[in-house]
Formats: sequence, C-alpha cells, structure tokens
Amino acid sequence: MNIVRRVAATAILIAQKDLRLEWRNRARLFSVALFGLVVLLLLSLAFGPNSDDLQRAAPGSLVVALLFSSILSLSESFRLEREDSALEGLALVPIEPMGLFYGKFLANTLFLLLLAGILIPVTVVLFVVEADARVLLQLTGFWALAAVGLAAPGTLYAAMTSRLRSQDVLLPLLLFPLEVPALIALVKSFGFILTGDPMEQLVSWTKLLIAFDLIYVALCGVLFPFILDEGS
Amino acid sequence: MNNSISGPSKFTHGLGVLGLLLLLTGSVMGLTWAPPEQHMGEVSRIVFVHVPSAWNCLLIFTFACGFAVWSLWSGSRKADSYMVASIEVGIVLNGLLLVTGMLFARPTWGIWWDWDVRMTTSLISLIFFGGVLAMRALIDDPKQRATWSAVAAVIGYVDVPLIYFCVRWWRSLHQVQSTPDTMSPGIVLPMRINAFAILFLAIWFLSMRASIERNRLAAQDVDQPDRLLEGGTL
Amino acid sequence: MASYDQRHGSCEMHSTDSITASGEPACTQPANAVTARGVGRRFGRTWALAHIDIEIKQGESVLLVGHNGSGKTTLLRLLCGLLRPSTGDLRLFGSAPQQQPFEVRPRLTLVSHRTYLYEQLTALEHVRLWMGLAMDSTYHSTPAEAQERRAKELLETVGLEQRAADPAVQFSAGMRKRLSLLRTQIEDPDLILLDEPFSALDPAGQDMVTDWLAQLRARGKTLIVASHALEQASKLCAKAIVLHTGQIVWRGAAADVTAGLLTHATKSNS
Repeated sequence: MNIVRRVAATAILIAQKDLRLEWRNRARLFSVALFGLVVLLLLSLAFGPNSDDLQRAAPGSLVVALLFSSILSLSESFRLEREDSALEGLALVPIEPMGLFYGKFLANTLFLLLLAGILIPVTVVLFVVEADARVLLQLTGFWALAAVGLAAPGTLYAAMTSRLRSQDVLLPLLLFPLEVPALIALVKSFGFILTGDPMEQLVSWTKLLIAFDLIYVALCGVLFPFILDEGS
Repeated sequence: MNNSISGPSKFTHGLGVLGLLLLLTGSVMGLTWAPPEQHMGEVSRIVFVHVPSAWNCLLIFTFACGFAVWSLWSGSRKADSYMVASIEVGIVLNGLLLVTGMLFARPTWGIWWDWDVRMTTSLISLIFFGGVLAMRALIDDPKQRATWSAVAAVIGYVDVPLIYFCVRWWRSLHQVQSTPDTMSPGIVLPMRINAFAILFLAIWFLSMRASIERNRLAAQDVDQPDRLLEGGTL
Repeated sequence: MASYDQRHGSCEMHSTDSITASGEPACTQPANAVTARGVGRRFGRTWALAHIDIEIKQGESVLLVGHNGSGKTTLLRLLCGLLRPSTGDLRLFGSAPQQQPFEVRPRLTLVSHRTYLYEQLTALEHVRLWMGLAMDSTYHSTPAEAQERRAKELLETVGLEQRAADPAVQFSAGMRKRLSLLRTQIEDPDLILLDEPFSALDPAGQDMVTDWLAQLRARGKTLIVASHALEQASKLCAKAIVLHTGQIVWRGAAADVTAGLLTHATKSNS
C-alpha cells in the first residue's frame, strides 16, 4: 500500500474510533456544550439588557463561547489516548503518525461542528437577534471553516500539552494567540451575516479563513510526526 | 560527552562592542543632528529606537524560525540553543517595541494603546512566543523540549503574516508605512545606524544566551558509569 | 515502505547494515534479532541502564531477570523503540529502532504491563481496530462480515468470545491482559518482547500464555521475556540474562536461574 492510502486508511480508523468513543461518552460533549451556554449566559448578562447592545455584542459573544468550549473539547481528545497509554500501543503497531493526526483532526472538527448546532440557536435567542434558516446555515458554514483552522493546530497542541503538567493553562495560552486571524475573521463574518454586508466583504474573510485552514492543516500534519517521537 | 564550558568567540564580543558604539553614535545623531519631524516635533525622536527594534524583532523571530527548522531537521543541541536564544532576544525586542510604541502613541494620538496593525501583531507575537517559553519550562527531557518548542515556534512564526493581514483588514489607523525616500536623510541615517547597532547587539546577546544554554545542557550530562562487568556475549 | 509488505521475506536484506559484528556479510546468515553494543539510557542525571551488550539471534528465546528497578522495563522499551538510547548502538534486525521505526516496529511487539486499551471500546472493536491498523494489505479488501468472523475467532483463542460486545472498562485485569495479548497474534511479529506476561493472570490464563509462547517459539519467533515467575518463564526460554541496577551481572542458561542464583549474582555485584 502506498503512503497516501495508508495515511488515509489510518485516519479513517482513528476517526471512527474517536467518534465511537465520544458517542459512548456523550455526557462529556453535553457538558462541554453546557459550558458554552454558561459563557453565553454570562456574556449576555454582561452586555444586556438593552437589546441594541446585545445585538451588537452577539457575534463576538458567540465566537468567544465557541472558542472556550472548543478548548475544553480539544484538550479532552488526547486524554483518551493517555488513559492506559493507548498512544504508546499505537506507536508500536506502528501507526502512520500523519494518519493518527488527520484521524484525530477529523474527529475534533466534527465535535466542534456539533457545538455550533447548540450554541448558535441559543445565541440567536439570548442576544435577541433576528435570524432565519439561511442566516443560521451561513453562521454554521463559517464556523465550519473556522473549526477546521481551530482543530488542526488544536489537535497538535493538545497532543503535546496532554503530556505536560499544567496542560489546562498551556493549551489556551498557545492556541488562542494563534487563532487570532480565525477569531477576527469569524467575528467579522458573523457580524456581516447578522447585520448585513453592504460592502460585500464576506468574500474576502472567507478567503482568509480558507487560507488559514489550508496552511495549518498541511503544516500541522507535517509537524505532528516529530512530536510523537519518544512519546512517554 | 563534553563538559567543558565554552563562551562566544572574540569576534562576537567585538560585534557587541561595535554595536554599543554604533548605538551611541546613532542615538546622539538622532537626538541632536537629525531635524525634528514636521508634525510631531521632538517627540518623534523615539523612532530612532522604535523602528530599529521593530525591524530587528521581526528579523530575530525569523532567525528563531530558521533555527527551529534546523533543530527539527538535525536534532542538534546547537540548533536548539540558538532557537531558544533567538526567541528570548526576540521577546526583549518585542517588549521594547511595544513600550516605545506606547510612549510614541500617547503624545501623538493621545492614547496609550491603539489596535493598529503593527501594535496588535506584535502584542500577539509577544504572547505567543512567551507561551512557547512557558511550555519549554514544563518539559524536562532536553530532546523533547527541543522538538516540541521548535514545532510550536514554526507554527507561531507562520501565523505572524496571517495576523498582520487580518488585523489590517480588521482596522487600520496607523500612518502609511514610510519608505526611506519620503523621509529626510537626516532621519534615515541615524535610524539605519541604530538598526545595525541593535542587530549587532542582538547577535551578541543571542550567542551569549545560546552558549549559556549549551553549557547548562552539558552540565546535566553525566558520563556513563564505567564500572564494566565480566561476562561473555550471550 | 517496501519492507513493510516484504517483512516475511526469506532473506533479511538490509543494505546499509549488511555487516554483522563479526564482519561477515549479513545475508549469508540472518541478521541478529537484537544487537546492542554499549547501550545506556539516562533519565536526567541518573543512568537507568549502562553498558548493555547483547546479541540475540533470530529464533532464540531469552529470559530477563532482575529485581524491581533493575532496568528490565527500560531495556524492553529501548528495544521496541519507545525510548532512545542515550549512548551506544542498538540494532534490531540490522536497523535502529528509533531512526527507522517503519523497518523495525512492524517486526516486533511489546506485551507491556500496560494493556493499551480504550475503556469504552468493546473487545471486538479493539480487535478490529488492531486488525485495521496492522495494514495487512488483504484486510481492507475483505468484506466486513469476514473481518468480524476473523475477529471473533481471535477472541475465542483467548477465551473472550462471550464478552466480545462488552467494553474494556468492565473487564478484570486478567481479561484485559488476555485481550491485549491478541495484538501479538494480529501483528504476527518476528520478535516478541514480554514484560511480566504472567502477572494478573489466573492459572488457566498462565497456562494459556505458556502454550502460546511455546507455539511462537516453535514457529521460529524470537522471544524476550522479563518475568519474576522464574518457574514458568525458564521453561520457555533457553538463555537468561540477570540485570542488577541497570547492568548485566550474569548470563547463562535459563534452567540455571534460581532464586538463589539471583540473590548471589546481584549481591556479588553490589
């Protein structure tokens, strides 16, 4: 089998396994989403109750809630591999490291997408935003683009920080500054989607998000094998 | 294993001294000889520190990324020591750049902080590379520390231009970047002198810090206990 | 990755490492399964292993004995490439396990005291995951029912067929061990490293492991067994190495290894 097919086959197996484990452990996904709801609640209390203020704060608040709950979700993803040293077992098989990365990345991206399914409708309600089905779909689409750019470095950093002391601090410390372009792009595009886009700027933000995704999905895949060396 | 203590070469020390002299020359020229800027007046003289440290900060972080790639490629201690030295020197320049930027912003724009492209980008890179150093402090195994921080440094460095473009689209109040053609030669010359001065000083600090790192790693080396035992091959 | 598919080839060609220690070209005889010269490993400032010189030919079986903390586990982890040697030259089948993991790792497996299981995955799902990851070129073209049938057959060989649908979290330590032993059958390596294979197992489980290791030996596999269960382990192995405080203190026939010898060998060294 050539390397591409091996990477792809490994990635699919790993992603399947992660999704299956997450489904059995769905209480966790539920609590991560609940945490996002708490963030939204706090932010809407902080900005409210004036509905104009709330509407203005809606895009930013949604992005912050999504990022905070994403961090929780990402840092969990390698905890599963650390229990009973399963990662070491995978290294012995030996697994194609890139396959492991892209498998975990796929699974993580899907979890982040699921978060949007819960947090976006809640934002629409709490922040008194008017939104029809098309707007909801657009918001989800942009979150999907950002989720890819969040999951790629997120998976890589989670693989490192999950093996260190004080991982809970380190993952956001490394990941949030990196995600600034995605965050700004997301806040801007959410704003345009919710309040209208007279200058047609949405396209350029989409391009920026896609560029960010492409760069990090490729770069993190190349760098991941380095950090697996001498795993424990 | 080599436990001997080594320091930077005479050439590097010479470069450092040259840097100090140039810094003195450039700064005196900037403070006295250069004409005050038309709109901002005397306060604009801070650019003789601000702009050269910005140029060099970017350059040193570029070095850091290059050393990180070298470190990943070769796994050599030398590469790792230069990488950590560049990150630390880069962070110092980055801090200098932010502080001088704020001191410049207050009298000219009336505010300490403005979310303009360059200030935002440099603040984020400061936080990010600070995070890389924080991660290094948590890893005990030297090889793992070298690899992981090199990976993080490469990823962070690639982000810098992305942040730059993104913040520029997001908002820009900053004056259009001046090119040397539009500035009077009285401003350009001291700025260039200071740029080289800071570069030489940075290289001096960098190589001293790198040799400290190498000595620190060498001090942790313990030779294999040479108590050999009798016994044939199995 | 040609060697991956050709790993069961008859002649072990390793172009760069085709000279054995004695100076003869390797292909006239198979490369040693393990060749270690002056291997040592340091954690921080402490040497966990020093001056390890081992030569193990293919098809040999070696018992690794020593008190807790003598370096047995570290040695096994070095051998399978999970740890880097701090010094010295280590070759498995002629390749360095850290530099050429894809040459070496498919040819060996480690049965650790850790079982490498996912709590929420069932026994059957574990077996199918391992079968998939082993990347046997025929596996992915096999229909799903056939894959599942094969996985169930494998579970039967370790007596877990009744528990195929239960997640690993419900298993006892012995059952987890049995399940993890299946990895070895799926990957079908040439070199099997076992760290305390008899621990956590009931007498029936220990007999199962003994039988199974004897079978592997008969098939010409190389075994390295680290164990405190001298009686069972010495039946399986021809040779023995005694480790003490990270160094080899005795080499000889496994049959000669007794508790008395162990005490003597380690005392005379310290």
